[in-house]
Amino acid sequence: MTVVAPPTAPVLPRRAPRPHPRLDSMKRTWYFFRRNTLALIGLGILVSIGIIALYSATLPLPWTTIPAYCATDYGPGNPTSGYPHNYTVANVCPVICTYEVTPPPNAASLCGGQWYKTPLYTNSSNPSATPVSYAGAVAPTLSYTGGHFNLGPMPLGGLATSIGSVTPIYNVASALARGSDWTLMLSVAIVGLGAIGGLFAGAIAGFYGGITDDFLMRFTDIFLSIPTILFVIVIVTALGALIPIHGTYGADLKLLLLVVGFVLVWWPLYARIVRGQVLVVREQKYVEAARASGASKGRTLIKHIIPNSMYPIFIQFSLDVGTIPLLIGALVFLGFGPEMFPGVPFPEWGSISAVSVNDLTVDMLGSCLVYHGPCIIAWWQLLFPGLALFFFAISVNLLSDGIRDALDPRLRR
Amino acid sequence: MRMATYIIRRCLQLVPVLIGVVTITFLLFSALPISDQILSKYGVAGPHAPCQYNPTCPCEQLNKASVHNGQCECTGTTVIVTPNSICQNPVYVHDVHALGLDKPLPIQWLVFVYHSFTFKWGYVDNNSFIAGHIFGIKGQAVAHVLAGFLPYTIELALLSLAIILVISIPLGNAAAVNRNRPLDQAARVMSFSGFAVPSFLLGSLLVAGVTILFLPHTGAFVSTPWCHAGEAIDHEFTYSWPQSPECYPGQIVFPYSFPTWMPYGTTTSPTGFPTVDALWHHQDWLALDSLLRMLMPALVIAYGSIAGLLRFVRNSMLEVMNLDYIRTARAKGVPERIVTSKHAGRNSLNVTITVLGLTFAGFIGGFPVIEEVFHINGVGEMIALAIQQNLDFAMIFGSTILFTFLVVSANIIVDVMYAYLDPRVRLG
Amino acid sequence: MAGTGVSGDSSRRYRPTGGHRSHFFNRSRPAAPPPTVSTPSRDRGPPQATPRAAPSRSYDKDLVLDVQDLKTYFFTYDGVLRALEGINLQARAGHTTGVVGETGCGKSVTAFSIARLVGDPGRVMSGKIYLNGANLLWGLEREAKYRKIVGTGRVKVVRSFRRIKQANERMAAVRGRGVAMIFQEPGQAMNPVFSIADQLGEAVLLHRGQEVVEGILKADAASRGVGGLHSEEFVPENTGEEGPVEIQTGMAGLVDRLLQVAATGDREALRAVADEVGKATGLASFGPELFYLLRDAGPQAASRRARVMRVLDRAKLSGLQRAYVRHQRRLIILQQAINDLYLKEMKTGKAQLASRSRIALRMRFEKLRHMHYNLWGVKRRAMRPIKNELFWRVVLLLEGVRIANPVQVARGYPHELSGGMLQRAMIAMALSSEPALLLADEPTTALDVTIQAQILDLMNQLRERVGTAIVLITHDLGVVAEVCDHVNVMYAGLIIESGPVHEIFRRPLHPYTQGLLASIPRFDQPDKELSSIPGSVPNLIHPPPGCRFHPRCPYAMPVCKEVRPIPQMEGEEHMVACHLYSAPAEPPAATSASAPAGAPAAPPRTGVRA
Repeated sequence: MTVVAPPTAPVLPRRAPRPHPRLDSMKRTWYFFRRNTLALIGLGILVSIGIIALYSATLPLPWTTIPAYCATDYGPGNPTSGYPHNYTVANVCPVICTYEVTPPPNAASLCGGQWYKTPLYTNSSNPSATPVSYAGAVAPTLSYTGGHFNLGPMPLGGLATSIGSVTPIYNVASALARGSDWTLMLSVAIVGLGAIGGLFAGAIAGFYGGITDDFLMRFTDIFLSIPTILFVIVIVTALGALIPIHGTYGADLKLLLLVVGFVLVWWPLYARIVRGQVLVVREQKYVEAARASGASKGRTLIKHIIPNSMYPIFIQFSLDVGTIPLLIGALVFLGFGPEMFPGVPFPEWGSISAVSVNDLTVDMLGSCLVYHGPCIIAWWQLLFPGLALFFFAISVNLLSDGIRDALDPRLRR
Repeated sequence: MRMATYIIRRCLQLVPVLIGVVTITFLLFSALPISDQILSKYGVAGPHAPCQYNPTCPCEQLNKASVHNGQCECTGTTVIVTPNSICQNPVYVHDVHALGLDKPLPIQWLVFVYHSFTFKWGYVDNNSFIAGHIFGIKGQAVAHVLAGFLPYTIELALLSLAIILVISIPLGNAAAVNRNRPLDQAARVMSFSGFAVPSFLLGSLLVAGVTILFLPHTGAFVSTPWCHAGEAIDHEFTYSWPQSPECYPGQIVFPYSFPTWMPYGTTTSPTGFPTVDALWHHQDWLALDSLLRMLMPALVIAYGSIAGLLRFVRNSMLEVMNLDYIRTARAKGVPERIVTSKHAGRNSLNVTITVLGLTFAGFIGGFPVIEEVFHINGVGEMIALAIQQNLDFAMIFGSTILFTFLVVSANIIVDVMYAYLDPRVRLG
Repeated sequence: MAGTGVSGDSSRRYRPTGGHRSHFFNRSRPAAPPPTVSTPSRDRGPPQATPRAAPSRSYDKDLVLDVQDLKTYFFTYDGVLRALEGINLQARAGHTTGVVGETGCGKSVTAFSIARLVGDPGRVMSGKIYLNGANLLWGLEREAKYRKIVGTGRVKVVRSFRRIKQANERMAAVRGRGVAMIFQEPGQAMNPVFSIADQLGEAVLLHRGQEVVEGILKADAASRGVGGLHSEEFVPENTGEEGPVEIQTGMAGLVDRLLQVAATGDREALRAVADEVGKATGLASFGPELFYLLRDAGPQAASRRARVMRVLDRAKLSGLQRAYVRHQRRLIILQQAINDLYLKEMKTGKAQLASRSRIALRMRFEKLRHMHYNLWGVKRRAMRPIKNELFWRVVLLLEGVRIANPVQVARGYPHELSGGMLQRAMIAMALSSEPALLLADEPTTALDVTIQAQILDLMNQLRERVGTAIVLITHDLGVVAEVCDHVNVMYAGLIIESGPVHEIFRRPLHPYTQGLLASIPRFDQPDKELSSIPGSVPNLIHPPPGCRFHPRCPYAMPVCKEVRPIPQMEGEEHMVACHLYSAPAEPPAATSASAPAGAPAAPPRTGVRA
């Protein structure tokens, strides 16, 4: 029998040691996220919205637009007395508008070189209302005058609410900019609070099981059966009747009530999701190991179960952040929103869109339909807030889809 | 037999959920001031409620004063009246004791639950916005009013559901099978944009677009026997024809108590559903008209719901395609087309149907907005009008419980279908 | 040997044609360059032809499966996982070939690669798989292009989906018919929403559909002419197999005899008569149906005459059903023609184009004609005879695999059955089409030992009856010893030893095989310490250089770390890939010089572990 030499140490190829499994898993997630173009686009849009929100918080943006002067030609007749009867759209030259109180000295010499105060469609029920001007019938350009961005005026409030006072006219751009941080803050706050509440409720339900689970699930069943908007309305109505709303704090209180209502509506969804995940995590070996090594139930819950059940929350969180402004808009559209001034919406993208929609379709279109004459449809006051809302929601959805695909173990190969 | 027991069991689960909803509404409404509670809680409240004429009540709050412990109590919002306005109606004050509002809370709750289940959901508040806006509902029972409007909502819901299922299931399957290829990317873009566009925006834009397109051609709204566009209408003669000064797409205006889309002289509406009744009366064009009026709102609703469902169908199909039995089917030699549609499709349908049940709450929640925009006379529009300036609590409560009932019954139907499709559920 | 990049035969080389036969598929384009993902040179070994057990290159009729140099790679986030690095495998008709190895050595991947079921991040890179002479990997090199991502070890795979779909269509013609597969977890492998009868019936319809529908049509023709199968006038055909014809008047006589035998309670005789009825009518389903109908009848058998008549009357079809069955027959024939075309394509290596487009058109036409049968109620009614026949054929199959109450099992769902029964059903499904090759991927791993024995026994019997070649993949050497005729030992994606089972067990040459055999606990040496092979399975993304076993090998030599050993023949059918047996003796290096050069004496089985 031949004597065999002792085996040499196995020569394994050298590789860099892996530093941290969780970090590595995050790097892997980022790799799969990076490969998803749509998700990157979403992330980019969201980041730019965030930057605008931050930037706009520091910038002194004007709330209202001071009556404008535009260089245009009104055609035959005296503009101030002849409007709107002989105001024809066809006669309007491309305008250059300013938003200053007095016409600028170096007026552009277009269409005869006159600066005219452009009147709004007058309120037929209150003809003595001061006609307030805004840029003429052509689309306003994206301009930067006097240190402010200008996407056009937004004569919100419209006919129905101008009772003898000057209807405030917003600058679309500034309204959007101001709305951006409110939108973000409200969405994140609502969904965050709902997620936290749902997280704890679902974790407790899933972990302890038994009667707690049953009871909590019935509870969430009830909440989930009631349609969202309806439930928010009911809650806000009921709680609003409790708390007397007066004066200038009315809007804040109503906003708070709205947030409370939304949070109450939102937490059951998260409770459901978390409970499903907890039921799976509960059966894992590391939970058993933790309990076997002496951890109390509460400790396992907090240290092991909750961190591992949080993944579906991220996905749902990112989905819901995009849905909240739409819901707030729907509520405002139905006439139920918090208002700073009567007829003036809360500066939040959803509400701005809603009021614009109302304004446009009911007021402007209505008057155009009924009155067979020239009328002005300020489509820009609908388009830009709508676009902002659209991009926000779509970016959030793309992001959530990207996160979901990146975290999905089946797709990470 | 097993199916029957399963159905009965699921229907019995409907009851606790409804009681829960009613309880929550009860608790919320208990927070309201007494006068509003009267209007919302008790079925006997209303014009026939025990109340007495109290001319000495200093409040000019019409119908919102109440007698409590023999004292006149005025609560609720006050309306500032100018010196010139006249207090037109005598003040009726409701007797709180007669109505039982001073009984302890659990007793009130029991009565409340009993009334909810027997459809005594209160009466329409005569001073609310909705009462002023819709002809003929003043003083009516809320349940009766809602029953008149419900069929339109259900028809709209069914049409939207049909569109959603027909579009999202095949598209989701195809998107999953061709993962990351152009079809998948297009489907994902569609689903994202569906999520991102608010329904009120889309709906209003569609209405506005159609209106603007037809604006230069006044009278391009075709005058049909049931819709006079731009004409003066002689209400007395043709009161049974549906009429509207402007025919918005989807609008059907009628005095709610009588379906006036029928030819003159019709006295019966067997089911209350417009399309079905039109067909029953052999009025095919009318049926088509009512369907087409609902097409645009159904598309808008579907667009929003397809977003979530499409993504879910795609994900569940992706999950199913990686399972073992699909591999077995391929190894058996089944053509790929049939593997996708039959083997994988059936299994992913199970999961899809579960999600469908969960999305009902959101689906139905979007109805107020759509019906408001398109002027469909459904329960959603009732809600939208009921929450305007003068809230109508009874209407809100009634609509809440009605919608909840719809959601829960839809969930039950979905569960039954799930049991039918998946033998593991019904055979235990 | 240029052109296709794999060791190609000039007769099989893809030749672009121009002229009147040019189609975009055939456009004169040079064949795709060989895939750029290549094994590192240190792994490739000297470029020599790998010897195989079968000496000749021509198609050996007995050789059902001939796998040559099969490479399968998985393109993952962590890099390219080289699951199979040049596998050579053969399977003969009527024999069982075993593939043994540890978990993670690539056994299942082998089976999936042969059936071309490899999932998304994985692809069969190159090689040839001859199934009865047809190359299943025909057209492989055109299906994907590989690009290395600069800076990483990853590779981007650009697939041509059109060609992959075509390849899938070709494989769908082969799978189930030529190659059948059974899987490891029977509980997961069946579709939970369809009953067993549905699933097995689908397999029967796919592969034996023509028999089924022709039987139905024949029985229908027979019954239509003479007023029913059970009438006096119907005279069953005498197939002449059973000997002298029974002098009975028509089917009625057979029915009488059936009822008489049922009254006696003798089950075998009843079964025999019922099968006779089935043979007489031409519908195989009558046999089991009548048997199970009358099985428990006892003395009241005569009262069941009406039910028997009803069963026989089911052979009479309505007009709609007849049309539907005929239509199905047409579709099945068409499908089979297409499958045969694909097979011919894979056998000859030439694309059968012109006729393929013709047939494709006809198929589309047929599909259109088929569409009006998709109305719910109509289709169900029309399908009933086929469904019925399939159900009872499934019952026959389940009887064949010895399931006790086949009717109940067939009606039930997969979740109602135990693992053993499900695996039997799966085997029934796989063998229903009498395939040439059966791939069994660890069929008994998920089952208890007693059930394991039954299943293996069943597979043996079926193999003898049907004559398929079985490739059995397992990690259990006991199973191998029990059923296999020929064994391949796999390690880390390579076959390191292969040979007849008695040879391998008697004289294991490769140290890994020796280790495997040594680690079997021996009952007769209770005090012996259980030995195991030190170390663990190597990472297939960064496999060890040279011989992949060398880190764990007790006889590792310096040459093992550098050069991959070529498979050598040691004996008539015994192949081993180990430097210990390499013919050109490398001069041993300074260290571990005691390892002898040349062919050493076989190391003892219970090896000395230093």
